[in-house]
Amino acid sequence: MANGNARNIEYITNFSVLFGQVRLLFFAKSREIVGRKEAELEVVRLTTPRDVLQTLLQEYPGLGEISDNIVLSLNEEYLEIDDQQIVLEAGDELAIIPPISGG
Amino acid sequence: MSGDCSSQPQEEGKGRRMGTDYVDVTEDRLSVEDITERATSPTSGAIGLFVGTTRNNFEGKTVLRLEYEAYMPMAKKKMLETCELVRDKWNVENIVMVHRIGVVPVGEASIVIAVSSPHRKEALEAVHFAIDHVKATVPVWKKEIYGDESSSWKQNKECTWSGSGHP
Repeated sequence: MANGNARNIEYITNFSVLFGQVRLLFFAKSREIVGRKEAELEVVRLTTPRDVLQTLLQEYPGLGEISDNIVLSLNEEYLEIDDQQIVLEAGDELAIIPPISGG
Repeated sequence: MSGDCSSQPQEEGKGRRMGTDYVDVTEDRLSVEDITERATSPTSGAIGLFVGTTRNNFEGKTVLRLEYEAYMPMAKKKMLETCELVRDKWNVENIVMVHRIGVVPVGEASIVIAVSSPHRKEALEAVHFAIDHVKATVPVWKKEIYGDESSSWKQNKECTWSGSGHP
């Protein structure tokens, strides 16, 4: 029993090293497509913006129609889609930003 | 002063610079006069002013109304970054930027930017740069609703990830 618990704890620890739950925000057309403003998403923590986008498209296939024209922001900073590597923390705020039209 | 204009001032605390930055995103009607007043300074000889207003037509279609939404905290952050860039390039005093969101009736102001400076050339150049930079970087979206109740999310030409050939 004791051994089993130890293994479980180890598994949980490793899981949180590899994966984290981030908060998604949808705006404008992406909000209309998804039908909600916010969601949670389990993501691989060590990743790239492009992989995050792929994960999003798997979770929300409807976003495919605008996927060439969205960028992501992480904690209120734009991500470059071609950036090599990012590390996401649990609770990070990831926003889907369709083409902007302010002013 | 409309309620929201004074509700969330974000002023810069750097002592080496003259003047303050003030940005806001509000659902209230914008008062050009109040915003200009906020930018006014006795040591400035000019205020550069930009007022963006909503058009009543797009490609022959009648625009009934416009709806704006913002990623509020990031929008304010990007507006403040624009203020920083303005100060890197020009000698200005106060910078005031207020963007309206929610339903904006045709003909009313959606954004007002006012920049005071000792001299007019800098005030005018600064305000021109500021609106261009806001259009390229601040996460705000505009939806036009037409007479036949169809609608369209707009895209700024300054936005680098907008699709070509789209409105």
